[in-house]
Amino acid sequence: MVEELLFFMEVLVGGLLAGTMYSLVALGFVLIFKASATFNFSQGAMVFFSVLAFVGFMQDFNIPFVLAFILAALLMVVVGLCTERFVLRPLMNASEDTVLMATIGLGYVLEGLAQAAWGVEVRRLDLGIGDFPVPWIADNLKLFISALDITAGLVAAIMIIGLFLLFKYTKIGLGLRAVADDAGAASSIGIPLKHIMLLVWSAAGVVALVAGCMWGARAGVQFALVDLALKALPVLIIGGFSSIPGAIIGGLIIGAVEKVLEVYIGPFFGGAIEGWAPYVLAIFFLLYRPEGLFGEKIIRRV
Amino acid sequence: MSTSTNILDIKNIEVTYDNVILALHDVSLKVPKGKVVALLGANGAGKSTTLKAVSTMLASERGKVTKGTIEYDGTSIEKQNPSQMVGLGMVQVLEGRRCFGHLTVEENIIAGAYSRKLSKGDINQELEKIYTYFIRLKERRKSQAAFTSGGEQQMIAVARAMMAKPKMLLLDEPTMGLAPQLVAEIFNIVKELNQKEGVSILLAEQNTNVALKNSDYGYIIETGRVMLDGTAQSLLSNDQVKELYLGISKKGRKNFRDVLKEESLTKKKIN
Ligand SMILES: Nc1ncnc2c1ncn2[C@@H]1O[C@H](COP(=O)(O)OP(=O)(O)OP(=O)(O)O)[C@@H](O)[C@H]1O
Ligand SMILES: [Mg+2]
Repeated sequence: MVEELLFFMEVLVGGLLAGTMYSLVALGFVLIFKASATFNFSQGAMVFFSVLAFVGFMQDFNIPFVLAFILAALLMVVVGLCTERFVLRPLMNASEDTVLMATIGLGYVLEGLAQAAWGVEVRRLDLGIGDFPVPWIADNLKLFISALDITAGLVAAIMIIGLFLLFKYTKIGLGLRAVADDAGAASSIGIPLKHIMLLVWSAAGVVALVAGCMWGARAGVQFALVDLALKALPVLIIGGFSSIPGAIIGGLIIGAVEKVLEVYIGPFFGGAIEGWAPYVLAIFFLLYRPEGLFGEKIIRRV
Repeated sequence: MSTSTNILDIKNIEVTYDNVILALHDVSLKVPKGKVVALLGANGAGKSTTLKAVSTMLASERGKVTKGTIEYDGTSIEKQNPSQMVGLGMVQVLEGRRCFGHLTVEENIIAGAYSRKLSKGDINQELEKIYTYFIRLKERRKSQAAFTSGGEQQMIAVARAMMAKPKMLLLDEPTMGLAPQLVAEIFNIVKELNQKEGVSILLAEQNTNVALKNSDYGYIIETGRVMLDGTAQSLLSNDQVKELYLGISKKGRKNFRDVLKEESLTKKKIN
């Protein structure tokens, strides 16, 4: 009995930790959604593009780990800059649907560029953190939890806190929150929308890189990362598209639920239900609570 | 910059939306430095369109000045964008008290200083100065803006604009839907800002009476054309203005067009 409970805890904690990465990627979506009311379909491609560039810098140019990471992060800022200048600005007065289509197009461009520059084979990414249980936790708590999962959870937590502080206490953060509430009014008092766009696209790019590293370290850097990142979609349906806490909690829920279902119910379906279980959950939410857990209604309920 | 007495000079502008909808046919209007000018007219007359042409916010609504010129402080605004206009000291307070609902009252006001490079200390100093005009807001500084009253939200919008240190404010229907006492309170603040801070003001209003009583000069527009202009005094005592805009109606005529039609009819009869 105790052992079963421990095993359940293990699965749950593993799922929650893995879920933090979904939270992080969903956060990237939310930022862009808040600033421009667009669902950024290129986020998955951004994950793939950024982490492939990162390993490419290391493996093809022998650039050291830290420097390669910084370069990849800068590259994502440049991608944000180009997106603002060549995609968003020309479409400033276009409808939201048009912008949405443009992000799909941007996704294909990034995927193509990444493969043209770095090739199509799966690459290994070694972060120096093993995907095996941490001995200390295994001995003392009797839980077998992967070091990689714990690292992912910590990194995601740090990034989320960092972003929170940025938005709460900096000038550009205030600008972003203003634009998210009312872009027209923000523009009327001289907040330049292009700075804010640049900020959210760069932030989403760096977030994509971090998530790509964590996922790539486990499963290899490959095209499948694009689909993995699109799991942010069910996360957002559950959490609400414009809610930062929603993205975080939605990610944890998806992470936990898919692991628990995979372990306990998966065998009845022949396994590998991780891939589609989140979408089923999302459909239930769409049917019964379309605004998500933390959708826009919150402001009226407080 | 210039020695001209008019801070704003609009000459014969025509404005179209989506390249086809003609919203302004021919509007000319001047705002002398340090004065309050009222722009009056019914729904859809073109008040907001005129203000947005000046703040250059038309572009984001697919609107365009297709004829005429607008000069602010002696130079054409043709090539400017909204944030540049704010930098030059021209700030618009949009219609409908558009506050940032999730931000606190104070964050809303601070956001107004976005275009300026101020230290934390400077911001606090500016805030204190602004609170002297908006005493009510100081009490509510920590509240979330979405939960303040309509009057308070209007004050937030004006206070926020003042944080940008404007030379000129464009106020779009600042008293829309407010109780008479609040209307008076808002206008008192506007007058004070005008007199103590020297801000020139162009004010779009449907509240003709109160607006004229608090302005130096007025323009009346209908369907995108200036129908009448004059000092506030002269407009207040003008029979047609009284009849059409101050609700002292005799014959049920609704606008200047009707008046002109009737006049031409009577002329024809006389002839
Ligand atoms: N974004 C837009 N696109 C198309 N037409 C517009 C747009 N904004 C305004 N119009 C049209 O331009 C004309 C003038 O509108 P405007 O908003 O300037 O009037 P207003 O005097 O401010 O009216 P109100 O008192 O209702 O605010 C109206 O016929 C309106 O339908
Ligand atoms: Mg209007």
